[in-house]
Amino acid sequence: MPRPDKDDPGAARQAPPRRKHPRGHAPGDPRNIGWLYILPGLLFYGLFTLAPLIHTVYLSLFSWDGLTAKTWVGLANYGEAIRDSVLRSAFVHSAVLIGFYAVIPVMIGLLLTAALTRTKVRGFRFFRTTLFLPQLIAGVVIAQAFAWVYDANGPLNRLLDLLGLGSLVRPWLGDFTWALPSIGVIGSWVTFGLCMVLFVAGVQKIPLELYDAARVDGAGAFREFFAVTLPGLRNEILVAFVLTTINALRSFDIIYNTTAGGPGNTTIVPSMYMYQNAFLFNRVGYAAAIATVLALAIFILAAIMLRIGERSEER
Amino acid sequence: MQTRLAAMIALVAVTLVAISASASYGAKSATTTLTMWSYDNQDPGLEPVLKQLSKEFEQSHPGVKINLVFKDFNSLVGTVPRALASGSGPDVTEGNQGYQTDAQLVKAKLIIPLTKYVKKYGWDKLYAPSTWGMFRWTPDGKSFGKGPVWGLAQTGQNVVVFYNKKKLKQAGLNPNAWPKTYAGFEAMLATLRAKLPKDDPVIMEGNKEGYGFIHLFGGIWGAYEKPSVIRNWIYHVPGSRYDTPGTIKALGSLQGWAKKGYFNPDYNAVGYDAAAGLFAKGKGAMWIGGNWDSTIIKALGVENLGVMPIPPGPSGTWAGIGGLSGPWHISAKTKYADLGAEWLNYVITSANAKKLMFANQQLPADRSAKPPTNDPYLTQVFNAFTKVANDDGLLLYTDWASTSMYATLQNQYQQLLAGRTTPEGMAKAVQADWAKFDKTLR
Repeated sequence: MPRPDKDDPGAARQAPPRRKHPRGHAPGDPRNIGWLYILPGLLFYGLFTLAPLIHTVYLSLFSWDGLTAKTWVGLANYGEAIRDSVLRSAFVHSAVLIGFYAVIPVMIGLLLTAALTRTKVRGFRFFRTTLFLPQLIAGVVIAQAFAWVYDANGPLNRLLDLLGLGSLVRPWLGDFTWALPSIGVIGSWVTFGLCMVLFVAGVQKIPLELYDAARVDGAGAFREFFAVTLPGLRNEILVAFVLTTINALRSFDIIYNTTAGGPGNTTIVPSMYMYQNAFLFNRVGYAAAIATVLALAIFILAAIMLRIGERSEER
Repeated sequence: MQTRLAAMIALVAVTLVAISASASYGAKSATTTLTMWSYDNQDPGLEPVLKQLSKEFEQSHPGVKINLVFKDFNSLVGTVPRALASGSGPDVTEGNQGYQTDAQLVKAKLIIPLTKYVKKYGWDKLYAPSTWGMFRWTPDGKSFGKGPVWGLAQTGQNVVVFYNKKKLKQAGLNPNAWPKTYAGFEAMLATLRAKLPKDDPVIMEGNKEGYGFIHLFGGIWGAYEKPSVIRNWIYHVPGSRYDTPGTIKALGSLQGWAKKGYFNPDYNAVGYDAAAGLFAKGKGAMWIGGNWDSTIIKALGVENLGVMPIPPGPSGTWAGIGGLSGPWHISAKTKYADLGAEWLNYVITSANAKKLMFANQQLPADRSAKPPTNDPYLTQVFNAFTKVANDDGLLLYTDWASTSMYATLQNQYQQLLAGRTTPEGMAKAVQADWAKFDKTLR
């Protein structure tokens, strides 16, 4: 997409003529000092984010039990990662979880937003707070609570029994087919509140005139939603997708505390498998390789989503 | 308002004075604190025993403080190597026999050999000579069952059948005539299935943590395969195999139990101790699990309870998963190794220790210990252990065989029981895990 640099007066304003100060930049415009401003942040970022990241990549090139001497193995861990069928299924499970952690919550969030903005809801603040609450609860607590809900004699199965749906009763988290979707539903429950709060805040930025105009033009609730609300929330939707997708790919606490990857390997995800390798199988090098692959996958996915967002903005 | 503020200031001041006073008091009496890590808190397991004995130890050793830290099994073995390596970890800790934990602790020189203390305290008489194998490692952490002793255990453990006599009677079985053969035992299970209500499992099973079936399978395995073959495989004796005809038959038998509906269908979602608790409340006719949970089971009422191992099959031995409890190790970085050894000696060999263990339904590992004669339930638990131990049928724990064996078995048992793999398929997968690890030892 070519940018109209030459003919754009705005672009010309951004690039001032440099003739007057041939030796450097304008007085009062010392650019290097900018680095000083961001130095504290950069230092923290480098120390606590970049350094561990680089160290992880470095460790992934070794065979190491975490305690005794390391042996250099080059890219062998990555070769194994590519061939490892467990890791492959872990990524497939993550893809399924993205549906539950990202797609469904965004949809529910939009639906709730449409409902909340269209009508005056009594106790709106109360609902907003309550629906956001799952975000504030520790993953372990949520996992324990849902383990109880899904228990063979738990409330979910009791409810099914009451409704005469006894044939659906099953040990949800111990079932080869249903364990992963059951975990997915927990994820949806946790994240939809976040999406909703983002969207409700976003809607308040949309000029009321647009709604008035839509109504004057005779738009119904649906038209109004698709013509005004949805386009107005583009940025919020993008942010919600990026956040929830990253959440889905990193998910560990809920799985560790409900199924620990079982039954069989039906709920194993990359982070769980990484944990097993690092702390149970004493294979820290391989675990670091999995971590690197996972980080890369998250990075690529986030980049793609942001790119799509930017493109639709340019349009 | 002002008075309230003044009151607050006064309160804060008083608190500060109190804190500084107690701090200076603490500094005056120089205390030596030893931190011990244990996972023996299976509701309640050995926890009350260790707490009481440590209190007594503190009383007889002024200035010594014992800081007991209890963690669940998986989080202890998952963190203890790095905690020890950090230098601020426990002074004395439980590890786990086998390649996943103990081999690593030995190899990384995080724990010390106990040779000196074995001699000093005469520990060599505690266990039968063959039992010591599970604490022996060559210093490179490669050969299991050979080399110096690195650990010491507190209790004898095995997996046995706890059964509800009332339900056996209701099914028309004689609760006091335990079958003498594995075939007889299977016939008993079939009768129970036919007579019990449909929603009541024959065997109450909890496999949430993944070790339920690793434990339960031992009795079936030992019925079809020689215990020495099984132990050699765990010790990585060259040429050992898992995929033997006996093992495959045994796996088939276990799969058959699942197909015939002997287990509660939600076994993968119920915890090990939770299943024992449900059995104690009357769910199921049997619970097959570790004798360390016998306190939980006791709630069913001792007059209703029978305790026996799974009877011998073609192998001819009373066998089952079992050995000694988790091995206690002394950190290589502690400043108080001698004191740690003294504590170990007290909590394992003292007369008080044995008395307290029995009182809490735990069997002391010290083979000279005899249960009190006035406790018939405990005597049953004790006899069920010695029956297997005297027949040389303790199969150790299968997951000791490689660093990833625990996860492999957890996964494979779940698949086998759900009918997603065959006995042959499981045997092949387990052997493949073993062989892959075996290569790193050669």
